[in-house]
Amino acid sequence: MELSIFTILIALVLLLLSPLAGGFITGVDRRLTAWLQSRYGPPLVQPFYDVLKLLGKAPMIVNSWQVLCAYIYLVSAVVALFIFFMQGDLLLIFFVVTVGAVAQVVGAMTVNSPFGQTGAQRELLQMLAYEPLLVMVFVGMAKAAGSFNVSDIMNVEEPLLFSLPLLFIAMVIVMLIKLRKSPFDISSSGHAHQEIVSGVHTDYSGPQLALLEIGHWLEVVLLLGITALFWTSQTTTFIGVILIIVETYFVEILIDNISARMTWKWMLRTSLCTGMVLALVNIFWLYY
Amino acid sequence: MLNGLVFACIVLPILAALLALIFRACAIRKALVIGTGVVLALASLALAKAGSFRLAADTMLGINVNSLVMLLDFALMAVILIIGLRLTNWIIVCLAIAQIAGTLYVEGFIGVGSGAPFLPEMGIFADNLSLVMVLVISLVGSLICIYGLGYMRVHEEHLHLEKSRQPRFFFYMLLFLGAMNGLVLSNNLLWAFFFWELTTLCSFMLIGHDGTDEARRNATRALWMNMLGGMAFVFGMMMLKKAGAELSMLTLISSGNSLYLMPIVLFCFAGFTKSAQVPFQSWLCGAMVAPTPVSALLHSSTMVKAGVFLVLRLAPGFEGTWFSVVLAIFGAFTFLVTSALAVGQSNGKKILAYSTIANLGLIIACAGINTQAAIAAAIMIIVFHAVSKALLFLCVGAIEQRIESRNIDDMRSLYQLMPRTAVITAIGIVSMMLPPFGMLLGKWMAIESALNMNFAMPIVITMLALGSALTVLFWGRWAGMLLGAANPKPVRVSDNQSFSISFVLMVLTIMAVLASLLSPLLYVALVQPATLAAADPASGYSIWGALGSFYNNTGAFAVYPLFIAIALGFAWALHAARKASKVEGTDPFLSGANARNENGEPGFIGPMREVTAPTMGNYYLSNIFGEGKLTGTANAVAITLIALMLGGVMWN
Repeated sequence: MELSIFTILIALVLLLLSPLAGGFITGVDRRLTAWLQSRYGPPLVQPFYDVLKLLGKAPMIVNSWQVLCAYIYLVSAVVALFIFFMQGDLLLIFFVVTVGAVAQVVGAMTVNSPFGQTGAQRELLQMLAYEPLLVMVFVGMAKAAGSFNVSDIMNVEEPLLFSLPLLFIAMVIVMLIKLRKSPFDISSSGHAHQEIVSGVHTDYSGPQLALLEIGHWLEVVLLLGITALFWTSQTTTFIGVILIIVETYFVEILIDNISARMTWKWMLRTSLCTGMVLALVNIFWLYY
Repeated sequence: MLNGLVFACIVLPILAALLALIFRACAIRKALVIGTGVVLALASLALAKAGSFRLAADTMLGINVNSLVMLLDFALMAVILIIGLRLTNWIIVCLAIAQIAGTLYVEGFIGVGSGAPFLPEMGIFADNLSLVMVLVISLVGSLICIYGLGYMRVHEEHLHLEKSRQPRFFFYMLLFLGAMNGLVLSNNLLWAFFFWELTTLCSFMLIGHDGTDEARRNATRALWMNMLGGMAFVFGMMMLKKAGAELSMLTLISSGNSLYLMPIVLFCFAGFTKSAQVPFQSWLCGAMVAPTPVSALLHSSTMVKAGVFLVLRLAPGFEGTWFSVVLAIFGAFTFLVTSALAVGQSNGKKILAYSTIANLGLIIACAGINTQAAIAAAIMIIVFHAVSKALLFLCVGAIEQRIESRNIDDMRSLYQLMPRTAVITAIGIVSMMLPPFGMLLGKWMAIESALNMNFAMPIVITMLALGSALTVLFWGRWAGMLLGAANPKPVRVSDNQSFSISFVLMVLTIMAVLASLLSPLLYVALVQPATLAAADPASGYSIWGALGSFYNNTGAFAVYPLFIAIALGFAWALHAARKASKVEGTDPFLSGANARNENGEPGFIGPMREVTAPTMGNYYLSNIFGEGKLTGTANAVAITLIALMLGGVMWN
């Protein structure tokens, strides 16, 4: 194992840039969504205005566990992203992301509010839907590249998309759930139309909500980074990698806008039956 | 010196058990239990420091040990036979008679042309795997016994017993510890079998301790299911005897002779029953009727760990076989199914029980994957699971004595009633499922090591991935419910516990955190040497000391940086939460004007203009994850897998 100051510095710089990138991507998301809905939409930097405003508010909390959980969610996103930029172990990143997801659930469960509690139960079902798929995506990548380390996966001879096309579809499903997009936005969502107020985020406001939002930006960057791994290789160009990120994200927004919110049963069926079958077929395929 | 230490680990607890039975005074019992605990802890640490060894141990205090064990073994089986007759349970009677006949054959008393059995020169053999087990049994087991002192006093007050049954209780508890240590240190298979059946008897007595109908019924089920495993053990020994082979654990795993495969498979089958793998899960779920220290002991450091220990011990003997592959699938299947069953449960002890079986399944899956990394994963899980699960069971016991329910729905907002226990339980839960704790490290190692398997890899990993997501589901909601609070101020009420209970909970919590932090050191000192016999040395983990980083060519897990990063983040979060606790709290959003009812509970003004407090419940999804839905199919699949294992070996 080698570790140089240089790689740590690069990772730190990327980590510092990530909230900016994440906020900017969210701004683009809102503009594109508005465009698809024939609206004008907010300025690109609106997410930053929102977060700054939230940070300036006086805290309104039901109990202090909420605060603890909001911070832990942010910490987990930071740590996971840092490991990613250090080109570390994907499976480890997965488990660190789980810390944040569990923190969200715990934060909502500690408040005796039916909206938050229902949101938490649904959030758990969402985790049940995307976690196995994400593990399979990582295992597929590791099987093809020989290792779970991002450094090895980036260094494959030809893009993984050619050998893992079905897992790429699985990854699109994972991202829809993780980014709280329709048809899977059952526990909370970024949209104005809410089914259960705002699920796990119901009793969050002000600075704590801002932390959750920043954490979410970091997760957006992490997920897009993982998507990029489908195209990175010894031969691909930087432009190609950017293109696959942009295309994937556009597909996410498109699906978000053309589909209705579905029930958790439908979600579990889609991800655990369809998604897992795709993943399994693809991994078996690697043996031939 | 070594003789003395081994004596202290095996015979001393048994002697202390007898003394606890004879002297009924409370003070003497306390002194005996605490004294035995301290001696066991010191002896096990000294043994671990000394490293692997072999001992002839042919005489003890001038008595021939082989004859002594033989005598005790027949006495033990006679006791079980009498129990079977008393219960008029013909399964137990038949199994006991068959075991006696089989053992008579192995000992050379009956059968055509059978002489004395070929016994190994060294009766005792300890490698690092045994030493890890001795440490777990002696440290965690002793702590549970000490907790039992405080727990049983309250327990018997609740039951209004005229005559204390504690002497009997602690007799079996201490006997259990001695038997477990004996089992993991035996090289002579006849000795191992004696201790094996002794743990079966102890668990029967302890599960039935409260004497209710349900307790008796469940104890009986535990007895016959474990005797089924004991029978397989006897069959294995009979096959070895017939072939004129040495009745030695060491020979079994080091010779590489395919003749030994069938006995090994039979011994593993015995391990499945003891580790309550599907389809034998029902005895362990039934065992929760016993007083909590018993459940904690059965689930964490003894009994079920004996089964996985045996499978791991024999793992070098079946590497690269068909059996090994099916074993991995079988273990992963148990992991998946019991994790799913746990989701459907609202009974806290049952959730813990299914989670135990799931983790044992994970360990068995690792034994089946059977590379150096996988065996290391299995041993890490044994250690961390013992600490965390003991902690969780003892927490549920303490909670149950206070709120008189073990249903997790009744533990909602427990933080307001017993803040310390609620927080400790939440820590225990987190240590079972999230980084940077050791259990997660073990799970990470297990999944990564499965990558290098053959075509069975996608099947095994699918089941591990699904099972792992299910565990997050049932742990996450439980942790959240426990911590429920209605205002930001920290709750300052006493948990009202006896010292022995709060002391043990505290020690176990510290152990869970500290052991996870020191996992790289633990790995280098104990786990890595224990995996040397496993296949594929290239897969084994190396440690990069500076970062405490586990790495091999499939991945890396940097323990220290991760621990420090998460600990710093946690400290930051805690600081923010402390600061926020000074804020005046608000009421949760309830879609209406907030108000308080006459008890001061938050609610909203409902349609009839009266204050309505919201009610909440969990998704147990019992139409998907209910026991009635899953158990039948799961048992059928598991039996098919076991048939595949046996069939595959016989066919060759």
